[in-house]
Amino acid sequence: MTKINHQSILEASAYHDLSLQGTDADTVRKLYYFMLRLRRCEEALSREYHPADEMRCPVHFCIGQEAVPAALNALLRAEDYLFCHHRSHGYYLAKKSPMNELFAELYGKKTGANGGIAGSQDISSPPHNFFSGAILAGAAAISAGAALGAQLLKKRCVTVAAFGEAAMDEGILWEAINYAALCKLPIVFICENNKYSVFSPQLKRQAADNLSERVAAFGIKSVALFGNDAIKVHAAVKVAVDDVLNGHGPWFIEAYTYRWCGHYGPESDDIVGYRSEEEVDFWKANCPIVLLEEAMKRAGILTDAEKDRTIRDIDAEIADSFQFAKGGDFPIITNWREVNLSSNSPRADELLTDIDFVETEFDVHQAVKQAKGY
Amino acid sequence: MQRLTYAQALQQATSQAMELDERVFLMGQLVDYRGGVFGTTTGLAEKFGTTRVRDFPVAESVMTSTAIGAAITGMRPVLVHTRLDFMLYSMDAIVNWLSLWRFKSNGKSSMPVTIRAIVGKGWGQGPQHSKSLHAWFAHVPGLRVAVPVTPFDAKGLLLESIFGENPTIIVEHRSLFSLTEDVPEVPYRIRFGRARIRRPGKDLTLVAIGAMVPIALRAAEKLAAQSIDVEVLDPRTVSPIDTAAICQSVMKTGRLVVADPAWQSVSVAAEIIALVTEKMGDRLRANPLRICLPDSHTPMSSTLEKEYYPDESKVAEAISSWFRR
Repeated sequence: MTKINHQSILEASAYHDLSLQGTDADTVRKLYYFMLRLRRCEEALSREYHPADEMRCPVHFCIGQEAVPAALNALLRAEDYLFCHHRSHGYYLAKKSPMNELFAELYGKKTGANGGIAGSQDISSPPHNFFSGAILAGAAAISAGAALGAQLLKKRCVTVAAFGEAAMDEGILWEAINYAALCKLPIVFICENNKYSVFSPQLKRQAADNLSERVAAFGIKSVALFGNDAIKVHAAVKVAVDDVLNGHGPWFIEAYTYRWCGHYGPESDDIVGYRSEEEVDFWKANCPIVLLEEAMKRAGILTDAEKDRTIRDIDAEIADSFQFAKGGDFPIITNWREVNLSSNSPRADELLTDIDFVETEFDVHQAVKQAKGY
Repeated sequence: MQRLTYAQALQQATSQAMELDERVFLMGQLVDYRGGVFGTTTGLAEKFGTTRVRDFPVAESVMTSTAIGAAITGMRPVLVHTRLDFMLYSMDAIVNWLSLWRFKSNGKSSMPVTIRAIVGKGWGQGPQHSKSLHAWFAHVPGLRVAVPVTPFDAKGLLLESIFGENPTIIVEHRSLFSLTEDVPEVPYRIRFGRARIRRPGKDLTLVAIGAMVPIALRAAEKLAAQSIDVEVLDPRTVSPIDTAAICQSVMKTGRLVVADPAWQSVSVAAEIIALVTEKMGDRLRANPLRICLPDSHTPMSSTLEKEYYPDESKVAEAISSWFRR
């Protein structure tokens, strides 16, 4: 395995290795369609975010990072679980959760995926086994539990934990990796290494940029690759998912990629001066969508007319989603307790007898024995 | 009825839950060793196997996260911490994820996770083996917190937690583990938020929490000898807490004392007094009294421990001088 890191990618300047060979045209089209849909979706949301200010929640756009969600979209089935970070939209759509409920959630509407309670960085779609969260590494750690649950229930499904390289600053992620390796859990860890935690680069936070090697030391099958090559990412995820489903234990995939926009919101945060113009230009020149599109055109499986038609369809879906979101009602909470705690307990009703107390006297004179030790 | 210790009652509840539903499983350090966790997990590994009775790495944080993930798939995990203090590694999992999971899913995803946390006392447990942080957990929306004192309550509240749909923290005081009581054999439930009058009385209401209940009852006997008739109320759960029962008792007695085995400031004791004074402060015949631990970490030395923890004599003296003021 040739070593890959952000520096080696930049030094290579342009990426020429994308090859459609070995991937059927249907899958290629699927990957392309998903990435284009996600890109159009994010761009449309960016444009609407300000000055309209109707989406009143923090939003982290994933423009430039479409390849990993696209691969997952092509490979995960309904019964598989997907957990991700705050940059959630790509993953939400990857699990085939409806776009209109995503938009409505950002608008804080009752018709949103979580009734307007969660917003962009905490969104979930439980019917689609999709979950996210804003605290780094927390969702990734929880995913180990979903994999354990599947293992205990003998369900044939894979759990995917998607996170950024900054989540690997957190100790809990390493606890999860250890437990996954220890129990051979059916899980694929996918790290989108986009170099920065907000502004802070990986090598300012971590002693080395060798995440896949570190994870491999746990006995987990591990691979690092250029994450803007959707075909390569898809192939790696497919190998991992198939292997996990065959009961061979966890995988780790590190996909090097880059976020084009600022950490948060539609505006650029490059004014901070945390990354160079050349670096941003390199990654924009190696856009995952353009790389795939060029290869598809070369292979004769995409024409400009087809692309235009696809964009028209996608834009119509986006327009419908905006309409759905804007037209929805705002949620109303009348009972704060009810939204935090379930008042039903069907399983307890079924299995347990109600006995509030017994009419025996609790003997207060019995000696409290001091344990001599613990 | 059978005579069980507190530890046996917890063991029986867990065993019955695992028999009733194969989705119930147990995680915790050393749960599968002979003797188990102070007798509360004894025999479970032999009966149910180590797949369902899982010794866990010394990684409390991911243990809790793992429970959350397993609950998403339909499992009903039970976690046990031999000391609550170790559980603090998992505060992110508890406060940022577990407690708000149902809320942020808009009620679509529930979290039947039970966390047993044992609090040490005596024999020099010191500041990292003795904290009873029930007030912390009770402060967080979306969590239920139980503080069972008797074997009967321990069994019923544990079963109710396991088969309920909400995340629950059960704070168990180690000093209670050998206490015995008659306990029904059947698997039964005790609902949260239902207090129990442990001793009826007319002069004052003494709300005692967790490990303070037996101490309060013995103090009440001492006070009876001084013609002070104490009603001892055990809330059994601190979140939700049975405000109605507490107010009803204070309505009768006109006086309120709270004994809480935790630091005094920003405590459950403070919350109970706030609840009562908000609702019926004008009916109180005296300012309320808190009997808590000093606002200090726990010392090791046995003489200091004796000073630090209120015993029945100290509780009786505090109440007696307050009552006669």
